[in-house]
Amino acid sequence: MSLKDTAIIAHAELKVMERSDRDVWQLGAEVLEQLLDRSGLEKREIDGLAMATSSTGAGNMFWPQATADMLGLELDYCDEVMMGGCSPVACVARAAAAINAGLCTTVLILYADTGVAEPNAHDRSYRREWTEPYGLMGPPGGFGLLTRSYEQRYGLDYALLGKLAVTQRNHALLNDMACEKLRKPITVADYLGSRMIAEPIRLLDCVMRADGAAGLILTSRKRAKEKGIARYVVPTGYAERVNYRAGEAFADPLESGHVVAGPRALKQAGIAIGDIASFHPYDDFLIAMVLQMEALGFCRPGEGMAYVRDTNFAYDGDLPLNTGGGQISAGQAACSSENLVEAVEQLMGEAGARQVRDTRNALVTGIGWINYGRNWGASAALVLEPGA
Amino acid sequence: MSADAYALPLPRPGPDDAAFWAGCRRHELLIQRCDGCTALRWWNAPMCGRCNALEATPVRASGRGTIFSYTTTHRAFSPAWQGKVPYTVVVVELEEGPRMTSMLVEAPAALRIGQHVEVVFEDVTGEVTLPKFRVI
Repeated sequence: MSLKDTAIIAHAELKVMERSDRDVWQLGAEVLEQLLDRSGLEKREIDGLAMATSSTGAGNMFWPQATADMLGLELDYCDEVMMGGCSPVACVARAAAAINAGLCTTVLILYADTGVAEPNAHDRSYRREWTEPYGLMGPPGGFGLLTRSYEQRYGLDYALLGKLAVTQRNHALLNDMACEKLRKPITVADYLGSRMIAEPIRLLDCVMRADGAAGLILTSRKRAKEKGIARYVVPTGYAERVNYRAGEAFADPLESGHVVAGPRALKQAGIAIGDIASFHPYDDFLIAMVLQMEALGFCRPGEGMAYVRDTNFAYDGDLPLNTGGGQISAGQAACSSENLVEAVEQLMGEAGARQVRDTRNALVTGIGWINYGRNWGASAALVLEPGA
Repeated sequence: MSADAYALPLPRPGPDDAAFWAGCRRHELLIQRCDGCTALRWWNAPMCGRCNALEATPVRASGRGTIFSYTTTHRAFSPAWQGKVPYTVVVVELEEGPRMTSMLVEAPAALRIGQHVEVVFEDVTGEVTLPKFRVI
Protein backbone atom coordinates (compact mmCIF):
# COMPACT_ATOMS: atom_id res chain seq x y z
CA MET A 1 0.00 0.00 0.00
CA SER A 2 1.26 3.47 -0.78
CA LEU A 3 0.02 7.03 -0.92
CA LYS A 4 -1.11 6.40 -4.49
CA ASP A 5 -3.47 3.66 -3.35
CA THR A 6 -5.74 6.24 -1.71
CA ALA A 7 -8.32 8.52 -3.28
CA ILE A 8 -10.01 11.78 -2.42
CA ILE A 9 -13.58 10.91 -3.32
CA ALA A 10 -15.35 14.10 -2.21
CA HIS A 11 -14.60 17.70 -1.35
CA ALA A 12 -16.69 20.48 0.16
CA GLU A 13 -16.20 24.07 1.22
CA LEU A 14 -18.30 26.83 2.70
CA LYS A 15 -18.21 30.43 1.59
CA VAL A 16 -15.43 32.33 3.32
CA MET A 17 -16.75 34.75 5.96
CA GLU A 18 -15.14 37.86 7.42
CA ARG A 19 -16.47 36.67 10.78
CA SER A 20 -18.63 33.66 11.37
CA ASP A 21 -21.94 34.06 13.16
CA ARG A 22 -22.21 30.28 13.33
CA ASP A 23 -20.36 28.00 15.71
CA VAL A 24 -17.31 26.16 14.43
CA TRP A 25 -19.07 22.81 14.95
CA GLN A 26 -22.08 23.99 12.97
CA LEU A 27 -19.69 24.73 10.11
CA GLY A 28 -18.14 21.29 10.51
CA ALA A 29 -21.57 19.67 10.39
CA GLU A 30 -22.46 21.54 7.20
CA VAL A 31 -19.24 20.35 5.57
CA LEU A 32 -19.85 16.76 6.65
CA GLU A 33 -23.41 16.86 5.30
CA GLN A 34 -22.13 18.05 1.91
CA LEU A 35 -19.43 15.38 1.85
CA LEU A 36 -21.92 12.62 2.61
CA ASP A 37 -24.21 13.89 -0.15
CA ARG A 38 -21.42 14.06 -2.69
CA SER A 39 -19.78 10.74 -1.84
CA GLY A 40 -22.94 8.76 -1.31
CA LEU A 41 -21.41 7.36 1.88
CA GLU A 42 -23.32 6.62 5.05
CA LYS A 43 -21.90 8.35 8.09
CA ARG A 44 -21.12 4.99 9.70
CA GLU A 45 -18.76 4.26 6.80
CA ILE A 46 -16.45 7.03 8.02
CA ASP A 47 -14.08 5.47 10.54
CA GLY A 48 -11.33 8.07 10.62
CA LEU A 49 -11.05 11.78 11.37
CA ALA A 50 -8.06 14.04 10.69
CA MET A 51 -8.29 17.72 11.61
CA ALA A 52 -5.91 20.57 10.89
CA THR A 53 -4.51 23.19 13.25
CA SER A 54 -7.38 25.40 14.28
CA SER A 55 -7.25 28.68 16.14
CA THR A 56 -10.64 27.98 17.69
CA GLY A 57 -9.74 24.44 18.75
CA ALA A 58 -6.24 25.29 19.90
CA GLY A 59 -7.05 25.54 23.59
CA ASN A 60 -8.71 22.13 23.74
CA MET A 61 -6.52 19.09 24.33
CA PHE A 62 -9.34 16.88 23.03
CA TRP A 63 -10.28 18.87 19.94
CA PRO A 64 -10.71 16.09 17.35
CA GLN A 65 -12.41 13.79 19.86
CA ALA A 66 -14.78 16.53 20.96
CA THR A 67 -15.52 17.34 17.33
CA ALA A 68 -16.18 13.69 16.53
CA ASP A 69 -18.55 13.58 19.49
CA MET A 70 -20.42 16.66 18.26
CA LEU A 71 -20.72 15.19 14.76
CA GLY A 72 -21.77 11.74 15.96
CA LEU A 73 -18.76 9.92 14.54
CA GLU A 74 -17.52 6.59 15.94
CA LEU A 75 -13.92 6.17 14.87
CA ASP A 76 -10.98 3.83 14.60
CA TYR A 77 -8.56 6.69 13.92
CA CYS A 78 -8.76 10.25 15.28
CA ASP A 79 -5.99 12.77 14.79
CA GLU A 80 -5.07 16.42 14.79
CA VAL A 81 -2.24 17.75 12.66
CA MET A 82 -0.62 20.87 14.09
CA MET A 83 1.70 22.21 11.42
CA GLY A 84 0.10 25.58 10.77
CA GLY A 85 -0.32 26.18 7.06
CA CYS A 86 1.18 22.77 6.22
CA SER A 87 -1.61 21.01 8.09
CA PRO A 88 -4.09 20.73 5.20
CA VAL A 89 -1.75 18.76 2.93
CA ALA A 90 -0.16 17.01 5.90
CA CYS A 91 -3.63 15.76 6.92
CA VAL A 92 -3.99 14.08 3.52
CA ALA A 93 -0.64 12.33 3.90
CA ARG A 94 -1.35 11.20 7.47
CA ALA A 95 -4.85 10.03 6.66
CA ALA A 96 -3.42 8.02 3.74
CA ALA A 97 -0.77 6.56 6.03
CA ALA A 98 -3.45 5.57 8.54
CA ILE A 99 -5.49 3.86 5.82
CA ASN A 100 -2.42 2.11 4.44
CA ALA A 101 -1.44 0.94 7.90
CA GLY A 102 -4.83 -0.63 8.37
CA LEU A 103 -5.94 1.68 11.17
CA CYS A 104 -9.07 2.68 9.33
CA THR A 105 -10.63 2.67 5.86
CA THR A 106 -12.29 6.04 5.21
CA VAL A 107 -11.21 9.35 6.71
CA LEU A 108 -13.07 12.62 7.09
CA ILE A 109 -10.43 15.33 6.73
CA LEU A 110 -11.99 18.38 8.33
CA TYR A 111 -10.75 21.95 8.12
CA ALA A 112 -12.99 24.06 10.36
CA ASP A 113 -11.90 27.25 12.06
CA THR A 114 -13.56 30.39 13.36
CA GLY A 115 -10.34 32.08 14.39
CA VAL A 116 -11.74 35.56 13.85
CA ALA A 117 -14.90 35.05 15.87
CA GLU A 118 -13.35 32.77 18.47
CA PRO A 119 -9.55 32.77 18.66
CA ASN A 120 -8.24 30.52 21.42
CA ALA A 121 -4.63 30.02 20.40
CA HIS A 122 -1.64 31.35 22.23
CA ASP A 123 1.93 31.31 21.11
CA ARG A 124 4.67 29.79 23.26
CA SER A 125 7.80 30.31 21.24
CA TYR A 126 10.71 32.68 20.75
CA ARG A 127 8.36 35.55 20.01
CA ARG A 128 7.66 36.73 23.53
CA GLU A 129 11.34 36.89 24.40
CA TRP A 130 13.05 37.75 21.18
CA THR A 131 10.82 39.65 18.76
CA GLU A 132 7.72 41.13 20.40
CA PRO A 133 9.61 43.52 22.72
CA TYR A 134 10.99 45.09 19.53
CA GLY A 135 7.65 45.35 17.78
CA LEU A 136 8.16 42.57 15.27
CA MET A 137 4.63 41.31 15.41
CA GLY A 138 4.24 38.08 13.55
CA PRO A 139 4.07 37.30 9.86
CA PRO A 140 4.01 40.75 8.20
CA GLY A 141 7.19 41.72 10.03
CA GLY A 142 8.89 38.43 9.26
CA PHE A 143 8.04 38.69 5.61
CA GLY A 144 9.09 42.35 5.58
CA LEU A 145 12.56 41.19 6.64
CA LEU A 146 12.57 38.41 4.05
CA THR A 147 11.48 40.77 1.29
CA ARG A 148 14.26 43.24 2.11
CA SER A 149 16.80 40.44 2.04
CA TYR A 150 15.52 39.26 -1.33
CA GLU A 151 15.49 42.77 -2.74
CA GLN A 152 19.04 43.40 -1.65
CA ARG A 153 20.39 40.15 -3.07
CA TYR A 154 18.45 39.78 -6.31
CA GLY A 155 16.49 42.96 -6.91
CA LEU A 156 12.72 43.14 -6.75
CA ASP A 157 10.17 44.63 -9.12
CA TYR A 158 7.15 45.42 -6.98
CA ALA A 159 4.96 45.79 -10.06
CA LEU A 160 5.58 42.10 -10.74
CA LEU A 161 4.42 41.21 -7.24
CA GLY A 162 1.40 43.33 -8.15
CA LYS A 163 0.88 41.13 -11.20
CA LEU A 164 0.52 38.13 -8.88
CA ALA A 165 -1.95 40.06 -6.70
CA VAL A 166 -4.07 41.01 -9.71
CA THR A 167 -4.04 37.48 -11.16
CA GLN A 168 -5.26 35.98 -7.90
CA ARG A 169 -7.85 38.70 -7.45
CA ASN A 170 -9.20 38.00 -10.93
CA HIS A 171 -9.54 34.36 -9.89
CA ALA A 172 -11.41 35.32 -6.72
CA LEU A 173 -13.86 37.29 -8.86
CA LEU A 174 -14.70 33.97 -10.56
CA ASN A 175 -14.99 32.09 -7.25
CA ASP A 176 -18.34 32.41 -5.49
CA MET A 177 -16.85 30.86 -2.35
CA ALA A 178 -14.26 33.62 -1.89
CA CYS A 179 -14.86 36.18 0.84
CA GLU A 180 -17.24 38.76 -0.55
CA LYS A 181 -15.27 41.65 0.92
CA LEU A 182 -12.34 40.78 -1.33
CA ARG A 183 -14.27 40.20 -4.56
CA LYS A 184 -13.53 43.59 -6.06
CA PRO A 185 -11.19 44.13 -9.01
CA ILE A 186 -7.74 45.54 -8.33
CA THR A 187 -4.95 46.85 -10.56
CA VAL A 188 -1.18 46.82 -10.21
CA ALA A 189 -1.46 50.52 -9.32
CA ASP A 190 -3.86 49.61 -6.50
CA TYR A 191 -1.31 47.12 -5.22
CA LEU A 192 1.57 49.60 -5.39
CA GLY A 193 -0.57 52.30 -3.76
CA SER A 194 -1.89 50.15 -0.92
CA ARG A 195 -0.71 51.30 2.47
CA MET A 196 2.47 50.03 4.02
CA ILE A 197 2.05 47.55 6.89
CA ALA A 198 5.60 46.38 7.58
CA GLU A 199 7.51 48.11 4.79
CA PRO A 200 8.10 46.81 2.18
CA ILE A 201 5.03 44.63 2.90
CA ARG A 202 1.90 46.42 1.72
CA LEU A 203 -1.70 45.72 2.64
CA LEU A 204 -2.29 43.92 -0.67
CA ASP A 205 0.71 41.65 -0.05
CA CYS A 206 -1.06 40.15 2.94
CA VAL A 207 -3.75 37.61 3.64
CA MET A 208 -6.80 38.68 5.57
CA ARG A 209 -7.72 36.17 8.24
CA ALA A 210 -11.26 34.94 7.86
CA ASP A 211 -13.60 32.21 9.08
CA GLY A 212 -14.74 29.14 7.20
CA ALA A 213 -14.70 25.39 6.82
CA ALA A 214 -13.93 22.80 4.20
CA GLY A 215 -13.32 19.09 4.04
CA LEU A 216 -12.32 16.03 2.06
CA ILE A 217 -13.13 12.33 2.20
CA LEU A 218 -10.13 10.05 1.69
CA THR A 219 -10.46 6.31 1.26
CA SER A 220 -8.59 3.54 -0.51
CA ARG A 221 -8.76 3.41 -4.30
CA LYS A 222 -9.94 -0.15 -3.94
CA ARG A 223 -12.90 0.94 -1.85
CA ALA A 224 -13.63 3.85 -4.19
CA LYS A 225 -13.89 1.40 -7.06
CA GLU A 226 -16.01 -1.00 -5.02
CA LYS A 227 -18.38 1.88 -4.30
CA GLY A 228 -18.59 2.63 -8.01
CA ILE A 229 -17.22 6.15 -7.59
CA ALA A 230 -16.28 7.32 -11.07
CA ARG A 231 -14.32 10.45 -10.34
CA TYR A 232 -11.73 10.94 -7.64
CA VAL A 233 -8.35 12.55 -7.07
CA VAL A 234 -5.23 10.62 -6.10
CA PRO A 235 -2.41 11.99 -3.95
CA THR A 236 0.59 10.75 -5.92
CA GLY A 237 3.46 12.47 -4.14
CA TYR A 238 3.98 14.11 -0.77
CA ALA A 239 6.89 15.33 1.30
CA GLU A 240 7.46 17.76 4.13
CA ARG A 241 10.50 19.24 5.79
CA VAL A 242 10.33 20.84 9.22
CA ASN A 243 13.10 23.15 10.45
CA TYR A 244 15.23 23.09 7.35
CA ARG A 245 18.89 23.43 8.38
CA ALA A 246 17.96 23.08 12.06
CA GLY A 247 20.85 23.72 14.36
CA GLU A 248 22.72 25.91 11.91
CA ALA A 249 23.11 29.30 13.51
CA PHE A 250 23.59 31.24 10.29
CA ALA A 251 21.22 29.64 7.76
CA ASP A 252 20.22 31.60 4.67
CA PRO A 253 16.79 33.13 5.31
CA LEU A 254 15.93 32.94 1.60
CA GLU A 255 16.24 29.15 1.54
CA SER A 256 13.35 26.99 2.70
CA GLY A 257 12.65 23.31 3.17
CA HIS A 258 10.77 23.34 -0.14
CA VAL A 259 14.13 22.70 -1.83
CA VAL A 260 13.94 19.27 -0.19
CA ALA A 261 10.19 18.61 0.02
CA GLY A 262 9.44 19.70 -3.57
CA PRO A 263 11.81 17.31 -5.38
CA ARG A 264 10.90 14.44 -3.04
CA ALA A 265 7.18 14.85 -3.70
CA LEU A 266 7.74 15.13 -7.46
CA LYS A 267 9.98 12.07 -7.49
CA GLN A 268 7.37 10.04 -5.66
CA ALA A 269 4.78 11.17 -8.20
CA GLY A 270 7.17 10.31 -11.02
CA ILE A 271 6.94 13.70 -12.70
CA ALA A 272 9.17 16.73 -13.17
CA ILE A 273 8.44 20.30 -12.11
CA GLY A 274 7.99 21.21 -15.77
CA ASP A 275 5.10 18.73 -15.96
CA ILE A 276 3.02 20.60 -13.37
CA ALA A 277 -0.27 21.66 -14.94
CA SER A 278 -1.53 23.99 -12.22
CA PHE A 279 0.19 25.41 -9.15
CA HIS A 280 -1.54 26.09 -5.84
CA PRO A 281 1.14 27.41 -3.49
CA TYR A 282 0.56 28.50 0.08
CA ASP A 283 0.14 32.25 -0.11
CA ASP A 284 0.22 34.26 3.06
CA PHE A 285 2.32 36.93 1.32
CA LEU A 286 3.05 37.41 -2.37
CA ILE A 287 6.81 37.08 -1.92
CA ALA A 288 6.27 33.62 -0.42
CA MET A 289 5.01 32.41 -3.80
CA VAL A 290 8.10 33.77 -5.58
CA LEU A 291 10.39 32.05 -3.07
CA GLN A 292 8.50 28.79 -3.58
CA MET A 293 8.72 29.04 -7.39
CA GLU A 294 12.48 29.23 -6.96
CA ALA A 295 12.76 26.53 -4.30
CA LEU A 296 10.55 24.07 -6.16
CA GLY A 297 12.46 24.58 -9.39
CA PHE A 298 10.06 26.46 -11.66
CA CYS A 299 13.03 28.81 -11.97
CA ARG A 300 16.41 29.18 -10.32
CA PRO A 301 17.10 31.16 -7.14
CA GLY A 302 17.11 34.85 -7.97
CA GLU A 303 15.22 34.37 -11.22
CA GLY A 304 11.78 34.64 -9.70
CA MET A 305 11.11 38.12 -11.03
CA ALA A 306 11.95 37.15 -14.61
CA TYR A 307 9.83 34.03 -14.24
CA VAL A 308 6.84 36.03 -12.97
CA ARG A 309 7.30 38.56 -15.78
CA ASP A 310 7.37 35.87 -18.48
CA THR A 311 4.58 33.61 -17.21
CA ASN A 312 0.84 33.97 -17.55
CA PHE A 313 -0.62 32.67 -14.27
CA ALA A 314 -4.27 33.08 -15.20
CA TYR A 315 -6.53 30.00 -15.01
CA ASP A 316 -6.34 29.82 -18.82
CA GLY A 317 -2.66 30.80 -18.98
CA ASP A 318 0.73 29.03 -19.01
CA LEU A 319 0.73 27.95 -15.36
CA PRO A 320 -2.60 28.48 -13.61
CA LEU A 321 -1.85 29.83 -10.11
CA ASN A 322 -4.19 29.59 -7.12
CA THR A 323 -7.20 29.56 -9.39
CA GLY A 324 -9.68 30.12 -6.56
CA GLY A 325 -8.02 33.42 -5.67
CA GLY A 326 -5.55 32.01 -3.20
CA GLN A 327 -5.76 32.92 0.44
CA ILE A 328 -4.71 36.47 -0.36
CA SER A 329 -7.80 37.12 -2.47
CA ALA A 330 -10.26 34.57 -1.08
CA GLY A 331 -9.50 35.18 2.61
CA GLN A 332 -7.36 32.96 4.83
CA ALA A 333 -9.94 30.56 6.15
CA ALA A 334 -10.74 26.91 6.83
CA CYS A 335 -7.31 26.17 8.33
CA SER A 336 -5.63 27.41 5.12
CA SER A 337 -7.11 24.52 3.11
CA GLU A 338 -8.62 26.59 0.31
CA ASN A 339 -5.81 26.15 -2.20
CA LEU A 340 -5.87 22.38 -1.67
CA VAL A 341 -9.64 22.13 -2.02
CA GLU A 342 -9.46 24.32 -5.13
CA ALA A 343 -6.90 21.97 -6.69
CA VAL A 344 -9.16 18.99 -6.00
CA GLU A 345 -12.10 20.83 -7.54
CA GLN A 346 -10.04 21.61 -10.64
CA LEU A 347 -8.97 17.99 -11.08
CA MET A 348 -12.60 16.88 -10.60
CA GLY A 349 -13.43 19.23 -13.48
CA GLU A 350 -15.90 21.16 -11.35
CA ALA A 351 -14.34 24.64 -11.27
CA GLY A 352 -16.88 26.22 -13.61
CA ALA A 353 -15.93 29.62 -15.01
CA ARG A 354 -12.32 29.26 -13.86
CA GLN A 355 -11.82 25.64 -14.94
CA VAL A 356 -8.27 24.98 -16.10
CA ARG A 357 -7.78 23.10 -19.38
CA ASP A 358 -4.97 20.82 -18.28
CA THR A 359 -6.10 18.60 -15.42
CA ARG A 360 -3.32 16.02 -15.59
CA ASN A 361 -2.06 17.07 -12.17
CA ALA A 362 -1.82 19.88 -9.63
CA LEU A 363 0.87 20.87 -7.13
CA VAL A 364 -0.26 22.16 -3.73
CA THR A 365 2.11 23.43 -1.04
CA GLY A 366 2.07 24.37 2.60
CA ILE A 367 4.03 26.76 4.80
CA GLY A 368 3.86 26.37 8.56
CA TRP A 369 4.86 29.19 10.92
CA ILE A 370 7.94 31.37 10.80
CA ASN A 371 10.99 30.56 12.81
CA TYR A 372 13.47 33.02 14.21
CA GLY A 373 15.64 34.95 11.78
CA ARG A 374 15.38 32.35 9.04
CA ASN A 375 12.72 31.19 6.65
CA TRP A 376 9.43 29.45 7.39
CA GLY A 377 9.53 26.53 9.81
CA ALA A 378 7.69 23.87 7.82
CA SER A 379 7.52 23.28 4.08
CA ALA A 380 5.25 20.73 2.40
CA ALA A 381 4.40 19.74 -1.16
CA LEU A 382 1.56 17.51 -2.41
CA VAL A 383 1.07 16.32 -5.99
CA LEU A 384 -2.47 15.42 -6.99
CA GLU A 385 -3.63 13.59 -10.10
CA PRO A 386 -7.09 12.62 -11.28
CA GLY A 387 -7.90 8.95 -10.82
CA ALA A 388 -9.87 6.65 -13.02
CA MET B 1 10.26 55.75 32.28
CA SER B 2 8.55 54.21 35.28
CA ALA B 3 7.50 50.59 35.35
CA ASP B 4 3.85 51.62 35.39
CA ALA B 5 4.17 53.71 32.24
CA TYR B 6 5.77 51.05 30.06
CA ALA B 7 2.94 49.28 28.22
CA LEU B 8 4.83 47.50 25.42
CA PRO B 9 5.51 43.75 25.45
CA LEU B 10 8.26 42.64 27.80
CA PRO B 11 10.28 39.43 27.83
CA ARG B 12 9.68 36.94 30.62
CA PRO B 13 13.13 35.52 31.27
CA GLY B 14 13.26 31.74 31.67
CA PRO B 15 16.05 29.31 32.49
CA ASP B 16 17.76 29.62 29.11
CA ASP B 17 17.88 33.39 28.95
CA ALA B 18 18.00 34.66 32.53
CA ALA B 19 21.74 35.31 32.18
CA PHE B 20 21.19 37.23 28.95
CA TRP B 21 18.64 39.61 30.48
CA ALA B 22 20.73 40.02 33.63
CA GLY B 23 23.60 41.02 31.33
CA CYS B 24 21.41 43.60 29.61
CA ARG B 25 20.66 45.16 33.00
CA ARG B 26 24.42 45.61 33.40
CA HIS B 27 24.52 46.95 29.81
CA GLU B 28 26.41 43.93 28.57
CA LEU B 29 25.32 41.99 25.47
CA LEU B 30 25.84 38.29 26.16
CA ILE B 31 25.63 35.47 23.67
CA GLN B 32 25.72 31.77 24.42
CA ARG B 33 28.91 29.85 23.69
CA CYS B 34 28.55 26.09 23.69
CA ASP B 35 30.67 24.41 26.35
CA GLY B 36 31.01 21.36 24.13
CA CYS B 37 32.14 22.77 20.78
CA THR B 38 32.57 26.55 21.44
CA ALA B 39 30.00 27.42 18.75
CA LEU B 40 28.24 30.72 19.34
CA ARG B 41 24.49 30.68 19.04
CA TRP B 42 21.52 32.99 19.02
CA TRP B 43 18.92 32.92 20.42
CA ASN B 44 19.37 31.30 23.84
CA ALA B 45 18.43 27.65 23.61
CA PRO B 46 18.75 24.60 25.87
CA MET B 47 20.87 22.49 23.49
CA CYS B 48 23.65 23.07 20.98
CA GLY B 49 22.38 22.52 17.46
CA ARG B 50 25.81 21.32 16.38
CA CYS B 51 27.14 19.02 19.13
CA ASN B 52 24.05 18.53 21.35
CA ALA B 53 25.78 19.71 24.54
CA LEU B 54 23.38 21.03 27.16
CA GLU B 55 25.83 23.40 28.84
CA ALA B 56 26.69 26.86 27.56
CA THR B 57 28.48 29.90 28.90
CA PRO B 58 27.37 33.46 28.22
CA VAL B 59 30.19 35.50 26.69
CA ARG B 60 30.24 39.22 26.11
CA ALA B 61 29.76 40.46 22.56
CA SER B 62 31.20 43.75 21.32
CA GLY B 63 27.73 45.15 20.62
CA ARG B 64 28.76 46.13 17.11
CA GLY B 65 27.48 44.66 13.90
CA THR B 66 25.84 45.36 10.56
CA ILE B 67 22.23 45.48 9.39
CA PHE B 68 21.34 42.12 7.88
CA SER B 69 17.74 43.11 7.10
CA TYR B 70 15.14 45.59 8.28
CA THR B 71 11.45 46.37 8.06
CA THR B 72 9.67 49.56 8.93
CA THR B 73 6.43 48.97 10.78
CA HIS B 74 3.70 51.42 9.83
CA ARG B 75 0.72 49.68 11.38
CA ALA B 76 0.40 49.19 15.11
CA PHE B 77 -0.20 45.50 15.67
CA SER B 78 -1.69 46.03 19.11
CA PRO B 79 -3.03 49.05 21.00
CA ALA B 80 0.24 49.34 22.93
CA TRP B 81 2.11 50.26 19.77
CA GLN B 82 -0.31 53.03 18.76
CA GLY B 83 1.64 56.27 18.69
CA LYS B 84 4.94 54.40 18.29
CA VAL B 85 4.71 53.81 14.53
CA PRO B 86 6.58 54.08 12.30
CA TYR B 87 9.55 52.29 13.80
CA THR B 88 12.23 50.08 12.28
CA VAL B 89 12.87 46.48 13.25
CA VAL B 90 16.33 45.22 12.33
CA VAL B 91 18.15 41.94 12.11
CA VAL B 92 21.70 42.71 13.18
CA GLU B 93 24.59 40.48 12.22
CA LEU B 94 26.87 40.82 15.22
CA GLU B 95 30.63 41.03 14.73
CA GLU B 96 30.84 37.64 16.41
CA GLY B 97 28.53 36.10 13.78
CA PRO B 98 25.08 35.51 15.31
CA ARG B 99 22.12 37.43 13.91
CA MET B 100 19.68 38.95 16.38
CA THR B 101 16.39 40.74 15.93
CA SER B 102 16.03 44.11 17.60
CA MET B 103 14.95 47.63 16.70
CA LEU B 104 16.62 50.92 15.91
CA VAL B 105 16.33 53.67 18.51
CA GLU B 106 15.93 56.06 15.61
CA ALA B 107 15.89 55.36 11.89
CA PRO B 108 17.94 57.58 9.59
CA ALA B 109 16.26 58.72 6.37
CA ALA B 110 18.44 56.50 4.20
CA LEU B 111 18.75 53.04 5.63
CA ARG B 112 20.44 50.15 3.87
CA ILE B 113 21.53 46.60 4.48
CA GLY B 114 25.18 46.44 5.53
CA GLN B 115 25.19 49.68 7.53
CA HIS B 116 27.17 49.55 10.77
CA VAL B 117 25.26 49.64 14.03
CA GLU B 118 26.02 49.44 17.73
CA VAL B 119 23.97 48.38 20.70
CA VAL B 120 22.13 50.90 22.88
CA PHE B 121 20.73 49.68 26.18
CA GLU B 122 17.33 51.06 27.14
CA ASP B 123 16.28 50.58 30.75
CA VAL B 124 12.58 50.35 29.99
CA THR B 125 11.45 49.28 33.48
CA GLY B 126 13.10 48.73 36.83
CA GLU B 127 13.62 45.09 35.92
CA VAL B 128 14.08 44.99 32.16
CA THR B 129 16.68 46.50 29.87
CA LEU B 130 16.24 46.04 26.12
CA PRO B 131 19.22 45.98 23.76
CA LYS B 132 18.40 48.18 20.78
CA PHE B 133 20.67 49.53 18.07
CA ARG B 134 21.70 52.78 16.42
CA VAL B 135 23.40 53.41 13.11
CA ILE B 136 27.02 54.55 13.51
